[in-house]
Amino acid sequence: MQYFLQLLISGLAIGAIYGLIAMGFAVIYKSTGLVNFAQGEMTMITAYIAWTISTTVSGNVFVVAIGAILAAILLGLIIERVVMRPMLGEPVFATVMVTIGLAVILRSAINFIWDAYPHGLDVGMGRDIVRLGGIGVRTGQVAVIATLLTLLAAIWAFFRYSKIGVAMRAVAADDRTALLMGISATRVHALAWAASSVIAGIGGVFFALSYDLSPAMFQLGLKAFPATILGGLDAVLGSGIGGLLIGITENLAGGYVSSGMKEVAGFLMIIVVLMIRPFGIFGERDIERV
Amino acid sequence: MPTTIPIPRPSAAPQPTAAPDSLLEFRNIRVVYDNAIEAVRDVSIAVPEGGIVALLGSNGAGKSTLLKAMSGILYTEEGVIESGSIRFRGEDVHHLAPDELVRRGIVQVPEGRRVFASLTIEENLQMGGYTRSNAAARERRDKVFALFPRLHERRDQIAGYMSGGEQQMLAIGRALMTDPKLLALDEPSLGLAPLIIDRIYEVIVRLRDELKMTVLLVEQNAQRALDIADYGYILETGRVVLDGTARKLAANEDVQEFYLGVSSSGRKSLRDVKHYKRRKRWLS
Ligand SMILES: Nc1ncnc2c1ncn2[C@@H]1O[C@H](COP(=O)(O)OP(=O)(O)OP(=O)(O)O)[C@@H](O)[C@H]1O
Ligand SMILES: [Mg+2]
Repeated sequence: MQYFLQLLISGLAIGAIYGLIAMGFAVIYKSTGLVNFAQGEMTMITAYIAWTISTTVSGNVFVVAIGAILAAILLGLIIERVVMRPMLGEPVFATVMVTIGLAVILRSAINFIWDAYPHGLDVGMGRDIVRLGGIGVRTGQVAVIATLLTLLAAIWAFFRYSKIGVAMRAVAADDRTALLMGISATRVHALAWAASSVIAGIGGVFFALSYDLSPAMFQLGLKAFPATILGGLDAVLGSGIGGLLIGITENLAGGYVSSGMKEVAGFLMIIVVLMIRPFGIFGERDIERV
Repeated sequence: MPTTIPIPRPSAAPQPTAAPDSLLEFRNIRVVYDNAIEAVRDVSIAVPEGGIVALLGSNGAGKSTLLKAMSGILYTEEGVIESGSIRFRGEDVHHLAPDELVRRGIVQVPEGRRVFASLTIEENLQMGGYTRSNAAARERRDKVFALFPRLHERRDQIAGYMSGGEQQMLAIGRALMTDPKLLALDEPSLGLAPLIIDRIYEVIVRLRDELKMTVLLVEQNAQRALDIADYGYILETGRVVLDGTARKLAANEDVQEFYLGVSSSGRKSLRDVKHYKRRKRWLS
């Protein structure tokens, strides 16, 4: 039981990171109809910026958090404005290729701007162990799970109650008619890129906090993408939950079956789920538009 | 395609020098899609303030294209205004972005209603009021609910589950939320039962008479439209082939033969009339 809970908690913690990045994918897909293949790389950049802030400005957790969020917003806005907006109206295939190109560029930017060595992000907390019902858990793990749950609630409320949140759903439902109502798609898209960058970036910072920071971190995107497919590419909350499910499945399979199963288990679950629900557990829309 | 001998149009003469009281005016508009398909050629239409103008024509005549040009959304379909202009309150507006056009008071209820299916009725209306302040939108919403009590009853329901008639009311209500001066409706009677069409048309008349709204009514259903319109234009393959007061159009032999009293399945077109016959009639 102890062992099970331990696996469950650490599965939830890594799953929460996948979930945050998966939500990043879903926010962009939902409002622009695109899969952003640079999501993992954007996440990595934000984590590196957080590390730079912690080593040069201040290691205070609030300074790092606020700095990283602002940097992520800026990153999302710049990419939307400079790279994505000129592609508006171009074929989806071409636009998705652009995100793949962007991914490669951002990946090598890490080596130019920073370096190729692993680093540890230290904000003076997150690595201490607390005891929860007899098992030891790192505070960073508790924090990331709590953050994911808080964001799930906040995003639910945002899409339901805020005018711009409803507008994002309207654009997702029918962008041309949204245009006829005077809803500016470019503003909605800019907001989506900024929000996606922040949500995923938070996941990246937590990863750097609990594990390490290295130029291989973009691979988190490859882990999170299946999570968003599982939860539903158009389902922001579903993607967050998809991340948790994959994290738990991986950890339990790795702990009880074999460590080799860890990689496979998540994908096995995805295949089975997609056979039953092709658009993901919480997905609604025909995703062939990708 | 019939021969392209220019057909004189007696009633077209006073038109380009349009009356200054036109709220909206299309001037010699030509629209091309994909650099190849000419959907509208040299169309001039004037919509005077406070009136209902009917724009009639069969499938593919270019009616919706004109409305897309009016709303500035042609670019979403690779369409461009090749020449001509659209004027609203005496100003050129065809270069403006869709949201700016809405802010100025031009809105359309698109063909097929296009409610936001996954949003509630209330959220659909909220989106209509997107360009307005929250306080103004709330006020408008109460007016829309007064006009369509049905929408109020079902305000929390998902729009996609409503009947066609209710969706049409919602689409009109949503457009009214923008606080328009000019309301264009693209085939509001499409696919609705006669009784429901009556209701929708009653509302359109009330909009003109009580709210002093200017209406551009696009229809294939010429009978209904000419019943309430003040003036009408008939569009065929991208050209205005006939225009006049609604009464005059309703009395016109060709219009009667091809647009009125013909079941929609058996609808023919003015195009099918022999060319000499058309010419003779328009000259008479
Ligand atoms: N996006 C588009 N790309 C290319 N051609 C188009 C496009 N939209 C419309 N057309 C063409 O332009 C012409 C006019 O179409 P439009 O939709 O304006 O007609 P309409 O009068 O609204 O017809 P309906 O009564 O069927 O709605 C048609 O020949 C149509 O095929
Ligand atoms: Mg049409």
